[in-house]
Amino acid sequence: MVPIKYNVRNLVVRKSTTAAAAFGLALVVFVFACALMLANGIERTLGRAASPDVVVVLRKGSDTEMTSTIEDKHVNLVLAQAAQIGASKKPVGVGEILAVVLLDKVGANGVSNVTVRGVTEDVLAFRPSAKIVEGRAANPGSDEVIIGKGLKGRFTGMTIGQSFELKKNRPMKVVGVFDDDGSAYESEVWADVHIVKQSFGRGSTVTSVRVRLDSASKFDAFKMLVEGDRQLGLVAMREADYVEKQSQATGIMLKILGGMIAFFFGVGAMIGATITMNAQVAGRSREIGTLRALGFSKGSILFSFLIESLVLSLAGGLVGAIAAVGMKAVKITMLNMGTFTEIVFGFEPTAPIIVSAVVLSAFMGLVGGFLPAVRAARVSPVEAMRG
Amino acid sequence: MSTETTKERESDPNRDVPPDAAVAADEPKPYRKNASPEKGKTIIDMSAVTKTFFRGKEPLTVLDGLSLAIEEGAFEALMGPSGSGKSTLLNLIAGLDRPTSGKATVAGHDIGAMSDGELAKFRARHIGFIFQSYNLMPVLTARENVELPLLLTKLSGAERKKRAETALRVTGLENRMDHYPRQLSGGQEQRVAIARAIVHDPTILVCDEPTGDLDRKSADDILELLTKLNVDFKKTILMVTHDPAAAERATVTRHLNKGKLE
Ligand SMILES: Nc1ncnc2c1ncn2[C@@H]1O[C@H](COP(=O)(O)OP(=O)(O)OP(=O)(O)O)[C@@H](O)[C@H]1O
Ligand SMILES: [Mg+2]
Repeated sequence: MVPIKYNVRNLVVRKSTTAAAAFGLALVVFVFACALMLANGIERTLGRAASPDVVVVLRKGSDTEMTSTIEDKHVNLVLAQAAQIGASKKPVGVGEILAVVLLDKVGANGVSNVTVRGVTEDVLAFRPSAKIVEGRAANPGSDEVIIGKGLKGRFTGMTIGQSFELKKNRPMKVVGVFDDDGSAYESEVWADVHIVKQSFGRGSTVTSVRVRLDSASKFDAFKMLVEGDRQLGLVAMREADYVEKQSQATGIMLKILGGMIAFFFGVGAMIGATITMNAQVAGRSREIGTLRALGFSKGSILFSFLIESLVLSLAGGLVGAIAAVGMKAVKITMLNMGTFTEIVFGFEPTAPIIVSAVVLSAFMGLVGGFLPAVRAARVSPVEAMRG
Repeated sequence: MSTETTKERESDPNRDVPPDAAVAADEPKPYRKNASPEKGKTIIDMSAVTKTFFRGKEPLTVLDGLSLAIEEGAFEALMGPSGSGKSTLLNLIAGLDRPTSGKATVAGHDIGAMSDGELAKFRARHIGFIFQSYNLMPVLTARENVELPLLLTKLSGAERKKRAETALRVTGLENRMDHYPRQLSGGQEQRVAIARAIVHDPTILVCDEPTGDLDRKSADDILELLTKLNVDFKKTILMVTHDPAAAERATVTRHLNKGKLE
């Protein structure tokens, strides 16, 4: 076998061409890893909003809280059904209403959708993971609101002591900021449920009921009870399943987008690797001929140049992967395709993402380097004799 | 012919691990088992060999029914005008190329009958190459360049290193082992190439204008070294040259003209 140091040193000697080809490969790996990290970040962020023992009840046929309507009296019925199967936590459940307001972005042009959740006074008791980190809780029945920390300072009025308009001439005052372990709730405004109902003319309806069961295993019994009453026309689903459905659209879109960008960039980077390696084979034909004359087989020359291309692409891949991991520090705002509201995400790397990014670079190196390696293997040993 | 005896050499069980290649003259170890080649044993045998190249549809016959026999242990020079086919003939003997017709038997092997893979193994075992422009790998040190032919054997890393160093000592480069080719003079580069050519103890040394790129002094040193390899180490050497002073070192000088030996 031709020693690998022969290939590695050849790469090191021609620093600039190696760097240029490796940069192209690094870019592809970077984009690919970033898209996967972002999709993962979205799934994780939305997933954090789910508790295993919480059930979401919506109108049958509604996929999201945005399109669902449930009458107030049915809320009480659902809560009673929960009690019937032995739900004992206080509060057992909450009927909430979801609305959307347009707010001006701070430091950027334009407006964006922000989710306002009309909540009952025991919202913080129902969601123990949510904690006030600044200011105080809102007074029930008042026009005070608390905001998730993802919104803080990003829209006009989203600061303690300031106000924003829920509807024309319906100012709401921000009194507190809450934290929910980075979940999607951190991108919501929580206002009094009655005031939201009034402002949006929803009469005596809400959009969803969330119920906390004593254990996740009670779900089937509860679902039978809720969906068994055909008159109600409601569906019950685990909060985790509901959230997954909401994040799926965005996650899949990102993965497809990332995959497509990686594919087109990847084809370019592979052509780059092919051109680089082809130039090497042409420039080193006397060296290759000499190796063949010394008795190295065609197969070992093919293998040697594949290794060279592989080392080149792995170098690029590692740089791209390291840069991608560095994106951990960056937060990004995106439209949640489930609710069409803005939500803040991070890039969340995992070992499988990094490994698949590096594997991708290796794949590009082997595919891009294949034809030049075949060309190298075909160099005649007679080339060694040519002056 | 000599096919019988050369076959014997092939089947020698010790041949798989090459014997300690180039041991300096002052070292007592025997250089190789066929240290005293039988006089008259033919190692290169060409009969009615032709080589025709095609430029498009235009045939160009470079070697035209050439016959030649070279004895083991000889030091022969091959001269002739440019384009007369010297390198072409050398390529056939070295197993880099096959004849168009005729038979070329080298160290008992029929060059025309071997596949590409078999030719590669043949070269690795029987041929040491010395090129006009040295053909060292620029990214490898002198020692690493010399080790290259040993990578095709089963020798251990330590043994390869030891043999490469011995070969470099024989060519007088014990102080330049870790130098890269660009840190060496032309004469020193050619010495590295000669060390590489002898390290695996080949049957024949094939040299195409080994002094063509060197000044008189360096050329004489290289010729001195080749003479030593022939006289002290009994190497069979075939050398193409334009230099009459070089040809003088050889025991036999042949002239090639228009594809035929004169
Ligand atoms: N692969 C090839 N295809 C076509 N023609 C070739 C090929 N190799 C050699 N020739 C031709 O064969 C002829 C002999 O070439 P060769 O290299 O053997 O000459 P030479 O005697 O070594 O010359 P020089 O002294 O210049 O090295 C030349 O005319 C050359 O152009
Ligand atoms: Mg020539």
